[in-house]
Amino acid sequence: MSLLTVDHLSVQFGGVAAVDDVSFDLRAGEILGLIGPNGSGKTTVLNLLSGFLAPRSGRVQMEGVDITGLAANQLAHRGVLRMFQMTRVFSRMSAFDNLLTAGLARGIDETESRRRADALIEELTLGPVRFLDAGQLSGGQRKLLEFGMCFIEPPRVAMLDEPFAAVHPVMRDVMAAFIRTRHAQGATFLLVSHDMPIVVDLCQRAVCMNAGKVIAAGDVHAVLKDHEVIEAYLGEPAEGDSTTGLELAGGDEGSR
Amino acid sequence: MSPGGRLWSERLRFDVRATLVICAALALVPLVVTGPYALGIILVSIYFAIIALAWNLLAGYAGQFSLAPAAFAMIGAYTTALLDHYGHVPLAIGIPAAVVSTALLGWVLGKLVLKLSGPYLSLTTLAFAEIARVVIGNSHEFTRGDQGMHVATLTQSRVAYYYIFLATLVAVVAVLYAMLRGRLGRFMTALRDDPVGASSRGIDVVRTKSIAFCVSCALCGLAGSLYGTFSQLVSPELGLLQQTGLVLAMVVIGGMSSLTGAVAGAILVYLSSEWMRGFGNVQIIVFALLVIVFARYLPGGLWGLVAGRLRGGPR
Repeated sequence: MSLLTVDHLSVQFGGVAAVDDVSFDLRAGEILGLIGPNGSGKTTVLNLLSGFLAPRSGRVQMEGVDITGLAANQLAHRGVLRMFQMTRVFSRMSAFDNLLTAGLARGIDETESRRRADALIEELTLGPVRFLDAGQLSGGQRKLLEFGMCFIEPPRVAMLDEPFAAVHPVMRDVMAAFIRTRHAQGATFLLVSHDMPIVVDLCQRAVCMNAGKVIAAGDVHAVLKDHEVIEAYLGEPAEGDSTTGLELAGGDEGSR
Repeated sequence: MSPGGRLWSERLRFDVRATLVICAALALVPLVVTGPYALGIILVSIYFAIIALAWNLLAGYAGQFSLAPAAFAMIGAYTTALLDHYGHVPLAIGIPAAVVSTALLGWVLGKLVLKLSGPYLSLTTLAFAEIARVVIGNSHEFTRGDQGMHVATLTQSRVAYYYIFLATLVAVVAVLYAMLRGRLGRFMTALRDDPVGASSRGIDVVRTKSIAFCVSCALCGLAGSLYGTFSQLVSPELGLLQQTGLVLAMVVIGGMSSLTGAVAGAILVYLSSEWMRGFGNVQIIVFALLVIVFARYLPGGLWGLVAGRLRGGPR
């Protein structure tokens, strides 16, 4: 069943179509990968879906209700949460206070917010930096903290923009485990990532964009084998080049 | 250092306790300082402490750099003066009316600058402040222009006035503490640290900004209104940009984002300013230089330095 329906979404920047007639469905309980080369419009799609940008045309529906043009805070209260490529934490508050504030912002009372913040600090292995200001945390710790802020109240849809970029492998494993656990509990994710092995590992389906358009959508393995997708990432194959989608993903089907 | 001291609630509790210690010390001043001139100077420093706290709420906690605190004090003073002059409205109504009028104007200004930030926000509030001062100064028939207006007084006793100002300061500290320790205080701080992040977590940035403007301006209006009744004269000079510069210097030198920093800064800077009168009109030059030095090398101000040594420091 479709939880989020993106319907012919378009937006232009100075005459350039950053997102051009993009449509796809995000099904309840799935992890959908949104992939594509740099500048393909993935983050712009996230900006449109999370209320930071208004589309020129098209609409977004959540379970049949039109949510196009709602502000980010309104969407957050409807359970549409987002993580940013460049983390957005409250730098002069402690890690614990960041989580507590996120809980209060979602309308949870203080006692319950404190309880959940404690649990997330534990789960995300942030115990040693609990009292440190978020501005003093490493990039990876900040990403983990942002995960916690999104999940202080289980979101309907969590949109993750390059969560694994420039993150230490140990933290990457913590993040991947966190996503798997929440997915097993029924959470729905839209995952933007350049990290193909992890996309293959986590996602059931994928949507690939290039130059603002959707060029392939469907089963993640099929998308990565798609000729147009390979071409978008690697350019025109030379004669006799036998690069396949699985090579692009850096793994094989058995890795799942 | 207690690790709990790094949490927002702990920092705030420590901060408010230190502020109350300063207020307690101020309560003893009339026992020691008996001369009316000297007491008057400390009283005026308390007036500035209220404005510094108000500006600190907006700039230090919510990250909105308004350049209109003195203008709102002037508007508050004129509201009470005009009601007294034209309507013979008692001060018991005239002073709350100043709070309401400046709160409403602050709300409107907050809405006007909603989408502005950084220098654009500061320039817009500066323009508003100058327009307000020029309009009041040029409305001779209504406000008596630069001659100023006479205002009724609450009491002829300077000591009584001193305690009225001190009680108001304690009440303002209590209101700000109650506000900052709750959701609103956290939301304001989140707005200061990252407006985009705050919005994406579900914080209504528009509402939070408007409330910060509204409360800050109302507190400036209250201070201005009380000051008018103390000096029994209000004039456009209350809204001079120089007065705003003094408030900025007080907060930056005392310590941004801290109740103690704003109060201690106001008292230290104003007393130093009076002391420097003996050396000519050098105060603004000295404070401007100090602001540069503090902003560059001690962004937490004097309180940041002291609190950092005592307990890990407020933010």
